[in-house]
Amino acid sequence: MTLLTTVADLRTARRRRQLLVVAGMVLVVLAAGTGALLVGAAGLTPGQAVAGVVGLGEPGDVFVVQRLRLPRIEAAVVVGAAFGLAGALFQSTLRNPLASPDILGISTGASLGAVTGMLVLGLSGVALSATAFTGAGVVALAIWLLAWRKGLHSIRFVLVGVGLAYLCSSLIAWSMARSQEHEAAAVLTWTVGSVSDIRGEQLTLVAAGALVLCVAVAALARTQGPLSLGDDNARALGVHVDAARVGTLLLAVALVALATSASGPVAFVALVAPAIARRLVNDGGAALTASAVTGAALTLLADVVGQHAVLGVPAPVGVVTGLVGAPYLLWLLATTEKRSR
Amino acid sequence: MLTSPAAAPAARREGAQAVAHRARRRALAVLVALAALVLVVLASLALGVRDIAPAEVWRALTAPVDGLMDHDVVLDQRLPRTVVGLVAGIALGCAGTVIQGVTRNPIADPGLLGLNSGASLAVVCAVWLFGITSPIGYVWFAFLGAAAAAAIVFSVGRGQPVRLALVGAAVTALITPLITLVLLRDQQAFNLYRFWSVGSLTGRGLDTVAWLWPFAVVGVVLAAVLAHRLTMLALGDDVATALGQRVGTTRALASVAIVLLAGTATSLAGPIALVGLVVPHAARRLVGTDYRWIMGIGALLGPVMLLTADVLGRLVLPRSELEAGVVAALLGAPVLVAVARGRTVAGA
Repeated sequence: MTLLTTVADLRTARRRRQLLVVAGMVLVVLAAGTGALLVGAAGLTPGQAVAGVVGLGEPGDVFVVQRLRLPRIEAAVVVGAAFGLAGALFQSTLRNPLASPDILGISTGASLGAVTGMLVLGLSGVALSATAFTGAGVVALAIWLLAWRKGLHSIRFVLVGVGLAYLCSSLIAWSMARSQEHEAAAVLTWTVGSVSDIRGEQLTLVAAGALVLCVAVAALARTQGPLSLGDDNARALGVHVDAARVGTLLLAVALVALATSASGPVAFVALVAPAIARRLVNDGGAALTASAVTGAALTLLADVVGQHAVLGVPAPVGVVTGLVGAPYLLWLLATTEKRSR
Repeated sequence: MLTSPAAAPAARREGAQAVAHRARRRALAVLVALAALVLVVLASLALGVRDIAPAEVWRALTAPVDGLMDHDVVLDQRLPRTVVGLVAGIALGCAGTVIQGVTRNPIADPGLLGLNSGASLAVVCAVWLFGITSPIGYVWFAFLGAAAAAAIVFSVGRGQPVRLALVGAAVTALITPLITLVLLRDQQAFNLYRFWSVGSLTGRGLDTVAWLWPFAVVGVVLAAVLAHRLTMLALGDDVATALGQRVGTTRALASVAIVLLAGTATSLAGPIALVGLVVPHAARRLVGTDYRWIMGIGALLGPVMLLTADVLGRLVLPRSELEAGVVAALLGAPVLVAVARGRTVAGA
């Protein structure tokens, strides 16, 4: 009887902690969003901003809020959440805290697809996103096929991904050298990752896609806890390990492809957000919801920092996340080495 | 084998045969690699968008006539890029071999280890901060950048083969946004960078080679001296130490060699990925595990691969060229995948 109450207590405490982390991150998102709404070239008072959001007030203010600032905030939140969730899925499924689309070459594949769409086919908007989505899918499939040898070995997966990333980035560099200066500048901005141009129909599409994928993830989420205990334990708990893994990876790739196709590869959100979320939740699980919200918070914060030229020039969001994420990855690599010795 | 005294001479004879066989194989490999190098150098001088007869190429080299179009093309365009390809190729072949040897990692090369991106960042900073656009000016920055990146990668990823590739990726990922920041600020840096980052044998002339060859020579000599130590190091730090080697000294000298060689190659040809990776693997296939031979063959195959990429790039497109860096990546990526699928990596 006492044991049962203890387990129940533990569960309640865990759930409370998860809720606390998620709520905290939502607060961060709201605070950063409010900041992004108020600060800018056209300074708005809170009253004007609220009026703009609901569509009342000065036409100029309504335009600034509804056409410029809100879409950018929404895009950062949607894209960031998708990257955060995808990263959590990759990391829990491959059981490797370093697995992320940046390192696995999927982002570079999306970039190559987008560059092709931009320079060869002259596309923009939703059509451009479609080519990026295709590029990510093709590279993910290629990694899958090439890394598959009597099962999916995660080191092999990473190395094949690195190889394909180099191939893709070499082709991107070549097409940048071949194009006009303004085209090359557009390619540069795209390959760094930016949420400044996602609005209207495209934003709706991305948000709807992300929502559908999130529902699918929720359906699969029950397998994540057992899977993190290892294949044998998960099997003993009644999970179809291979099916669950393939399904999860497919969803993760779809999320990355979707987010990347809209914003370009925003570096390291997929890597860093789950790591932070896991550390905060600290229950040994995959912390999927917390990762998604953390991803949204990080991306929005980074975009605010980049947008307001804290670094000297107005920088795309990917520059800021890269500058924060890469040192974190290095630190992670340095400390895991010490622990393994 | 030495259980009965009678068997000993037979075993010795077999051993001697194996040694002779290996020596023949190595000599053959050297000859083939040399022949390939001569062939590809000749091809690089003779082939291109403009059709020039071999006899005319020879006349251009031996008795040039001023103002003759064919002779100018050979002397001002094909000869410099051939020399650049030779020097950069030798440097990349040796650099890749030293990196793979000292890290005991089959996946290591200057590009994957982030050295190229370090050099790139330093070059764009040189353009942005000091307005330096001549290769002779920014070569020093390229060296500095490569050295800094090497220092970070080697200190964070020490001793862990698979991890080094990831640290290299992380360092590249750290440097890329910094490069982007500079490029967003400075139009001139952007325009130089997008041509430079492809990796090409054109654009840097013989005057740059005249400045850089001493670095390459010091690097190659250092690499040659280190080769024997690398063979022992392949057996593990403990064995190498037991055999009387100061492992720390080897590592320090190796990183100096890597910076000199990769720095030379990158400032001459831009960041060329995968040549330094593929060449040592090919060399190992040909001559076995002795790094003295791998280094020698690698120094021959490096320029063979780079010049082959360059010549192919001239011929693939009508009226246009594909840069050597792109062709090299197209040739090298399948090899990297093959290595990753091999048995050795999974065990590492």
